[in-house]
Amino acid sequence: MVQRLKSWWKSLSKLEDQPVPERDPIVNSSLAIPLALSSLLLMLSLVWAFYEEGWGLRPWRVYQDEFQELFVSALEKKKPVSREEEQAILASSGYQELLARLRQAEESRQSDLQSLEQQEQQIRQRLAILTRPFTTARSEIQAKRYEVETASASSRESLARQLDELRQRNYRIEFPDGPQDYTFGELEEEFNALKAEQGHVQQRKVELLRAPARLQRQLNEYVNNRLAGLTEVQLDGLIGEARGQGIYIRQIHNPEINLVDRCESCHLGIREPVTLTADEMGGRRVFVSHPRPELLALHDPETFGCSPCHNGNGVGTVSVTKAHGKYKHWLWPLFAKENFEAGCLQCHQNDRHLRYADTLTAGKDLFQYRGCMGCHPRDGFDTEPRETREVQKQITDLFAEKQAEQLKAERLLNLGDRAATNEEANQLYADAQAVTLDVAAIDARVDQLRVRADELLLEVKKPGPNLKEVRMKLRPEWIPRWIENPQAFRPDTKMPQFRLSPEDVQAVSAFIWQSGVEGPLDRQPQGNAERGRQIVESRGCLGCHSVGEGEQQHGGNFAANLSRVGEKANYDYLVRWVHAPRRRTLPYCPVHARDITPEDYAGQGLPFRFDLEYNRCPLGDHSLQVQNQNVMPSLRLTEQEARDIASYLMTQRHADAQYAPVPFIEDQALFDRGRFLVRHHGCAGCHEIAGLEDEGKIGTDLTLEGSKPIERLDFALLTHDAKKEGWYNHKGFFENKLRNPAVYDQGKIKEPLERLRMPNFHLSKEDIDRLTTFLLGSQESVVPEQYHFNPSDQRADVQAGWVVVKKYNCMGCHEFYAGQPTSLVDLPQYQGDGREKLPPNLIGEGARVNPNWLARFLENPALSREDVHRNGVRPYLDLRMPSFDLSAGEVQKLVKFFQALSRQPLPYLPVPQEPLTDRELVLARGLFTSQAAPCLRCHATGDPRTDQTKTAPNFALVSERLKPDWTRRWIVHPEIISPGTAMPSGLFREEAARWVFALGRVPGLESYPGDHADLVVRYMFQFTPQEQRRLTGR
Amino acid sequence: MDWAQLWEIVSLPDNVPIVALMLLVPFFMWYGLRQSFATDRMIARLEADSKLAKDHHRKFEPYRKGWDQKVHVWPYLLRIELLAAVVVTLILMVWSITLDAPLEEPANPNLTMNPAKAPWYFLGLQEMLVYFDPWIAGVVMPTLIILGLMVIPYADKNPLGNGYYTYKQRKFAILAFCFGFIVLWLAMIFIGTFIRGPGWIWFWPGETWDHHRLVFEVNRDLPEILGITQQPWVGIFGALATGLYAWAAGWVCHRFLVWNDFNKEIYARMTLTHYLIYQFFMITMLSLPVKMVLRLVFRIKYVWVTPWFNV
Amino acid sequence: MRKFGIFLLTIVSIGLWVACGGGAESEAPADTAAPAAEAARRVDPATAASLQGKVNYSGQAPQLARLRMGADPTCDKQHSEPVYAQDLLVNDNGTLENAFVWVKSGLEGYAFDAPTGQVTLDQQGCVYLPHVLGLRTGQELRILNSDPTTHNVNPTPANNRDWNESQGPNAPEKIKTFARQEVMIPVKCNVHPWMKAYIGVVDHPFFAVTGKDGAYELKGLPPGTYTVEAWHEKLGPMEQQVTVAASETKTVEFSFGG
Repeated sequence: MVQRLKSWWKSLSKLEDQPVPERDPIVNSSLAIPLALSSLLLMLSLVWAFYEEGWGLRPWRVYQDEFQELFVSALEKKKPVSREEEQAILASSGYQELLARLRQAEESRQSDLQSLEQQEQQIRQRLAILTRPFTTARSEIQAKRYEVETASASSRESLARQLDELRQRNYRIEFPDGPQDYTFGELEEEFNALKAEQGHVQQRKVELLRAPARLQRQLNEYVNNRLAGLTEVQLDGLIGEARGQGIYIRQIHNPEINLVDRCESCHLGIREPVTLTADEMGGRRVFVSHPRPELLALHDPETFGCSPCHNGNGVGTVSVTKAHGKYKHWLWPLFAKENFEAGCLQCHQNDRHLRYADTLTAGKDLFQYRGCMGCHPRDGFDTEPRETREVQKQITDLFAEKQAEQLKAERLLNLGDRAATNEEANQLYADAQAVTLDVAAIDARVDQLRVRADELLLEVKKPGPNLKEVRMKLRPEWIPRWIENPQAFRPDTKMPQFRLSPEDVQAVSAFIWQSGVEGPLDRQPQGNAERGRQIVESRGCLGCHSVGEGEQQHGGNFAANLSRVGEKANYDYLVRWVHAPRRRTLPYCPVHARDITPEDYAGQGLPFRFDLEYNRCPLGDHSLQVQNQNVMPSLRLTEQEARDIASYLMTQRHADAQYAPVPFIEDQALFDRGRFLVRHHGCAGCHEIAGLEDEGKIGTDLTLEGSKPIERLDFALLTHDAKKEGWYNHKGFFENKLRNPAVYDQGKIKEPLERLRMPNFHLSKEDIDRLTTFLLGSQESVVPEQYHFNPSDQRADVQAGWVVVKKYNCMGCHEFYAGQPTSLVDLPQYQGDGREKLPPNLIGEGARVNPNWLARFLENPALSREDVHRNGVRPYLDLRMPSFDLSAGEVQKLVKFFQALSRQPLPYLPVPQEPLTDRELVLARGLFTSQAAPCLRCHATGDPRTDQTKTAPNFALVSERLKPDWTRRWIVHPEIISPGTAMPSGLFREEAARWVFALGRVPGLESYPGDHADLVVRYMFQFTPQEQRRLTGR
Repeated sequence: MDWAQLWEIVSLPDNVPIVALMLLVPFFMWYGLRQSFATDRMIARLEADSKLAKDHHRKFEPYRKGWDQKVHVWPYLLRIELLAAVVVTLILMVWSITLDAPLEEPANPNLTMNPAKAPWYFLGLQEMLVYFDPWIAGVVMPTLIILGLMVIPYADKNPLGNGYYTYKQRKFAILAFCFGFIVLWLAMIFIGTFIRGPGWIWFWPGETWDHHRLVFEVNRDLPEILGITQQPWVGIFGALATGLYAWAAGWVCHRFLVWNDFNKEIYARMTLTHYLIYQFFMITMLSLPVKMVLRLVFRIKYVWVTPWFNV
Repeated sequence: MRKFGIFLLTIVSIGLWVACGGGAESEAPADTAAPAAEAARRVDPATAASLQGKVNYSGQAPQLARLRMGADPTCDKQHSEPVYAQDLLVNDNGTLENAFVWVKSGLEGYAFDAPTGQVTLDQQGCVYLPHVLGLRTGQELRILNSDPTTHNVNPTPANNRDWNESQGPNAPEKIKTFARQEVMIPVKCNVHPWMKAYIGVVDHPFFAVTGKDGAYELKGLPPGTYTVEAWHEKLGPMEQQVTVAASETKTVEFSFGG
């Protein structure tokens, strides 16, 4: 063996030892074979090159071939279906009747048409014969005339003569009915006459055919309007088109957003006018049509292309991977299925609620409700504090400006005094005056800003409760247990779990406890727990809160689950909380940055008083924060109801729950450590904490997180696993981080305080997808400004409105758009009959109610200052519209929002109602009170005796609350305005262009010529107190 | 050990030439040398036996009586060249078909890639930056390389070895070139490509290129190590040290130049200019490996520190 | 890197180059053979079996709530003696009236003749007659108002179109149909809150409403295994598994607890 190797090595190394051929290889060896072989291979490589050029690098060609076949066959399959449909329609009476009319029309015109045809025929014949000789003659004469005009004096004579000859020459025309002689003049006349006649005849023909043509159109429309899909003919058209399609790159190019998308070179079905499912297209998902054509209708692909929404490399055509941008060097890879709504954010940053984008909207909800915005700045979230700062700045700036202006005025006046001439002086005085006017304007502006600032004090909310109240609100033993692991106590709470050592937990608890404020808290007698339970179930608490645990849990998930409140809360405080959730123990003064104590008031000789009306700071001329910064509204409960609820809640506890005593809670030594930790972990982002009211946000700004370079996302020691396992991208980073916020500390040796601070929210898979979608979409938009959805018209009001709606969770109880789920609809107590106990849906609210009334209602849903423990509009509902203590600004936003949603103009100027004549009044009243008319069975009339049993709003409110036009539409067709309403339809029936009462006879009404619906509406809008008494007095 | 990553680097379209280089250079070295050695042996035989030298042919091995001594360029050479041309074209075709231009994402001004590497053929220079100041590595050295290559024909005082492969007769030329090209150029490129990872840190093949890797190295100047911190002494010391090196290197080169009679002959032919040029280039060339050793092994940054320049 | 593989390969053995053909990545079309829908079976009258039985009630008849029609005098006038709610009518033989018995499952894949004839729901004396009624999908429901007052008929279905139409005194009858199977659809009149009726809509003819004797019978069942359900507005649904052989007559008793 070794020998073998040796000899081999020798043969390699030593040239002499190698066998020497007989004849010189250089001269005698033939290179034919290597040459032939290599050239052959060269040829082949050439072929290969061509193949690559033609197909290898153009896979879409194959796709297009394939698509054509599949598409055609799919259409063929559709044909019989649409044929049947079409047949059905053709057979339908409506069509037949139209057809008959068409036939009849055509026949009736048949004879006239024929005669006209004949006339035209003759004319055409004569013209055919006449035209040629006429035109030749004419051109000859014109030519001659030109000669004459341009001829020299000498030759003009003769030429003129020739012209006359031509004019006089006799033209013989051979008509079928014998020849005829003309001079040119006559010829011309004849010709024009014929032409005119022809035109006339054609005109009449058109008139004759107009009616049938119209019918024909109607006929076609009839079919098209009734056909769900395409007609067979249209399908054939498509097939032909598809067959005719060449193989070429389908490209969308929009230079404005320098967009080049060739996606449709493979995704050929996307925009076809028929829906193509994967099954129809032989299981090829690449060929299906867009699942949301309505979205394409909104965003014309010719303008927006595909990649702005879906990401991916729009230009790429060489392979699926490349085109979808799923490779290292493409920074905008196609969004995964579960996150594709991220693309919407390219233009819809400002839409708090976005239709068709439920995942994204849910993501935004989570970002707000779970308190992400407490630590992470993000445009469009938690804007109030920022706005407050801006407003304050503006005010100070304006003050400076004002002073400058005043000085300027002063200067001008002095100049005026010393002016040389009166003109100058007056000029200067005038200028001075102008300046002082500016000053006045500034004052006005400042006042507005002041108002706004006060509003903002009401508007600013925090995701978590006010921790200044803990001493009165909570049992101390409970606090450390909660801080240590909130989910252990309440699995779906929004409070996240921080990674704190037991000592830290103690320190934090101690700080929280000791920083709490003390205040008067009256002892409350026990209430009736059972009644409390009923109230909780029926009054609307479940719109936001849930009760029961595990399987039993039901109600909204916007606010806390109430199943273990009994273990944490202090009864007396709970009563106060339920009764007036926004009530503070001490007011907070943003200027002095501390709570204002009774002593402060006393110091100024003022009574200790603060509430929405009275919010001035005793220590200076500025406003106080007089509310708890939480969104929990007041349900306007009576003290007793509050006690009942509180008692019920106190029963909500685990019997076996054990709480260790907490001696450390009062330990002063822990205070500073605790305070430090609380700041370090940014608790003040979500909670109001004494001394930390103005803490900044501790997290990264996430506004553009999605377009951060991947290198800037710190995968730490997981980088290589991430790369190996293929989640080294934004999606992967976000998902892992959300699943376990500490994940990127893995394996790293860090001091406790260096560790990642983000707490664990224990998010579900869906929630992670939602937030990931939101974060992925939070990018620097590739689309230029003018494409972003920042409307200036009413749609802006809608955007602004949604923010408020989301903030207060109005959707927990009310339906804002068809099919929107609320927390209540699925509850057992609202099934079947119960459905009528549900709060009104607000679809079309703007069209329904008078905006001025709506504003009043939102400010005070009881519509009364005295009798507040009720619903203003629907006293018969157990559910109660709560008082949100909205700021004027928010009320305005909401009103505009509703008006905008139903495209109603603002301000609203009601159409004056034509006053009822006495007769009409009698009739209307008769109609109202008649047996046949069921109105008063359900609708309240403001009569306390009967109203208990009533199940519909009060007539007395109609005139100020509703809009007449809507009311009319409503009583005529309630079912189309509010499907499933208790208001019965068919009250009126249409009869000769007017609506007449349909249910039985009402004396005198038959003879009334007017529209009955109108009559009723006018009656309601002129419903006077005495009329009311008359009605109820019967 | 992260061979996957090594494969990633090796298989970068950018690195194809280097990979090819690693295979081809050794092969052709062997191929050429084999011929040279054969020739040398024959020359030796002829020199040993003057009689044989008289009637023996001058064609190089392998050879057999009856073969013509000379053959024409056409067709015998050209047809081979044609074949070569075809094969090379073929390779280029396949190459260009199978490997697309390695485009990356649009450059981001706020984000420098790490490691930031020059194209493969400049990696040698980039690697040099580790050992010398930019002005030396980036300006002086490249210039010298070009000048050196230009100088070769004139500096070459050895008349032998034209038109045939020989090692014995051109030992110096071959060694010098191999040293310059393989050690100082290819080796550098190799290091720059496969060894230098993020942060231009030294990663042995198979080590994971970890962006978070931290290595502790303090590079100090030679004077510092020896406790000289004061200018001008630092500068003076540096000058001396460098001078010392120059003298040592020069002495080594000189020894080589007068190694044996053959070399002596050439030495005799040299004028002073030749000699100086020869020395200058040799010393400079040698300085690179020396500096590399100082830097990599002894962690020495500069030898000669002056306010104006550092070496 | 695949392509680089090709490259090296090509360099090494050019002979292999063919193997590395064009570089298009495309997923192979998945063939989707739609399963042929098996033809719907018909019931063979020769082998038809039938189910019968009673719906028993073990508890004792409760005192039914009295319906107070004071709100609408015209209703009151029509009744000389007091009217009671019908939500739990127990017959003397300890059976239940107004229980709805139907074949819940087991008939899948059968086709039946289109329903014929109408079912009538009358509003008389401000109560619905009958109180519980069965109906086939697509079968016509005829709604009358024999009262001198206005009613509104307001079914609150879960899976059917919902509508709510008022019907004046001696107004023309309404003809309605329900397209989807649903047991049961509550019907109410908003004007007279006490009025209640339940409509069971079934997509086959095998259902019955128990009468004064509390008995039911389902004729013409094809042999097979079925889930039979008895539904009662107060007592809820109750299921039983039954297997009937060809032209067998089986008795299935339901008994609700008090």
